[in-house]
Amino acid sequence: MIEVETTRFGKLKVEEDRIIHFPEGLLGFSKLKRYILLDYKDTSIKWLQAVDDPDVAFIVINVFELEPEYELKVPDSVQRLLGLEKPEDAVVLVILRVEEGKLIANLAGPLLINSQNRRGTQMVIENVSPKVYNMQ
Amino acid sequence: MLVLTRKVNEGIRIGDDIVVRVLEVRGSQVKLGIEAPDEVKVYREELYQKILEENIRATKADKDQFNRLKEVFKKK
Repeated sequence: MIEVETTRFGKLKVEEDRIIHFPEGLLGFSKLKRYILLDYKDTSIKWLQAVDDPDVAFIVINVFELEPEYELKVPDSVQRLLGLEKPEDAVVLVILRVEEGKLIANLAGPLLINSQNRRGTQMVIENVSPKVYNMQ
Repeated sequence: MLVLTRKVNEGIRIGDDIVVRVLEVRGSQVKLGIEAPDEVKVYREELYQKILEENIRATKADKDQFNRLKEVFKKK
């Protein structure tokens, strides 16, 4: 068990094998390499909380909840970075935020995680912009 | 900032294994060729910057935002 200090959720105790490692960090957060995912029973959105900075947490969702037909081409170099062997081991999360009543999903910078070893990276997708959804 | 002047087909070597070469100049557009090892990520600066800024904005999310989104993404 490790203890994780967080601004939003207080002190969390988590099993070490729940930590997701981003060897390169996320863009703009290169020093933060360890995260935990906070899951909820009643919603498919999750928090991705940095282990080493209490303030840093992202709201994320599995890309298929937003875009059921989503496809991502993973370059060999990224497959090697994550030790990704099979496509079905890959989990793609998208960072969400709300601005002026609209939902903005950062499809230009999806998070790719190897569920087998919990290694992840933020990809940069050319010719894709963050997508804006109306919330009902 | 280091400033170097190069002609078409001339290049710049960065460290041991990165080469940036000027391939073509047309008006205000310059076409560059970049040779770098696989693990070196090369992006257009504005794209990198856009994702970085999105990330920073996204960390401002609070529990209120989460609760609003929760209504949209209820588990069936």
